[in-house]
Amino acid sequence: MSVVEECPRTEALSALVDGELAEPARVALDAHVAGCAICAPVLAGLRQLRTDFAALPAPAPGVDLAPLVERRIAAAAAVANPKAASRSQRWRWWQLAPAALGGALSLSLGAYLGSALVLGSQATGQATTLQMAAFTAVPPGALCPAARACNPRER
Amino acid sequence: MLASDGPDEDWVRRAQAGDRTAFSELVRRHQDGVYRYLLRMLGSHDDALELTQDAFVKAWQALPQWQPEAQFRTWLFRIANNTALDALRRRKLVEFVPLEDGFDAPGSGPDPERQGQATQEVRQLELSLKRLAPEHREILLLREVEEMSYEEIGRVLSLSEGTVKSRLARARAALIEIHARSRP
Repeated sequence: MSVVEECPRTEALSALVDGELAEPARVALDAHVAGCAICAPVLAGLRQLRTDFAALPAPAPGVDLAPLVERRIAAAAAVANPKAASRSQRWRWWQLAPAALGGALSLSLGAYLGSALVLGSQATGQATTLQMAAFTAVPPGALCPAARACNPRER
Repeated sequence: MLASDGPDEDWVRRAQAGDRTAFSELVRRHQDGVYRYLLRMLGSHDDALELTQDAFVKAWQALPQWQPEAQFRTWLFRIANNTALDALRRRKLVEFVPLEDGFDAPGSGPDPERQGQATQEVRQLELSLKRLAPEHREILLLREVEEMSYEEIGRVLSLSEGTVKSRLARARAALIEIHARSRP
């Protein structure tokens, strides 16, 4: 058996560094590495790697991501469930119903009052037309100097 | 109960019931770890920031499937890791070459003189990590930076503990080799 075959594989040394070897295997490997010119530097390299990793800086995002994630979740929910979105839209229409009813009543009232004014002005207009006629007995302005002047039959 | 007290699992149950405030608490607890992991997987602050949010949105959507037996952190890292690999695939930076089995490298270790050059080694380590295959990078980050056990790593990467053990050894050997080659 050659020296290389007698040496434990890197896998075992890696597990040793991680503390993932069971007790009897760990003790045996420790004893082997202590006297092995091949395995000792391999184990030292693995341990150095661990030291270097421990010294790595710990970068952070620098912002609170919770509100951003919350917004994305809400947006994704709206896309995934458009029915719910349309339901909420219909609800808004119902909320507008009282205002729409009030508007309709106002329009109706306006139309009623408007038509009453137009009818009134037509009646007044007829009288004016009569009064302004060129050959009527009633003078312009409907001012009669005497009762007979405006009503010739009474003469 | 104070705003941020209690184990993750309590907050996850509340979030499962639709409490978005509880989920926000989970985001705050784990955003640094997920961001750090994605940053080293992708090498870009902007991408890491974007994908950290993606990972949390996916986690929210997958919450109904979460089981109390699963540790929330490992479950979340599994989502984050898949998100990272998807992004790397999209970038076409990943070539899924099968890893060599039966790696054995006694005698290929570093020069003992390298010990004691910690600061320089740390700088080199960042560069060497970027050159490492994603399959190796992910497992090393989970072990060395996130300090997960073999069992937890197995859950994140869907591997048996035996495979975790062997892949970690290969990843370390590959990193040491890249490290050694990059030395002047």
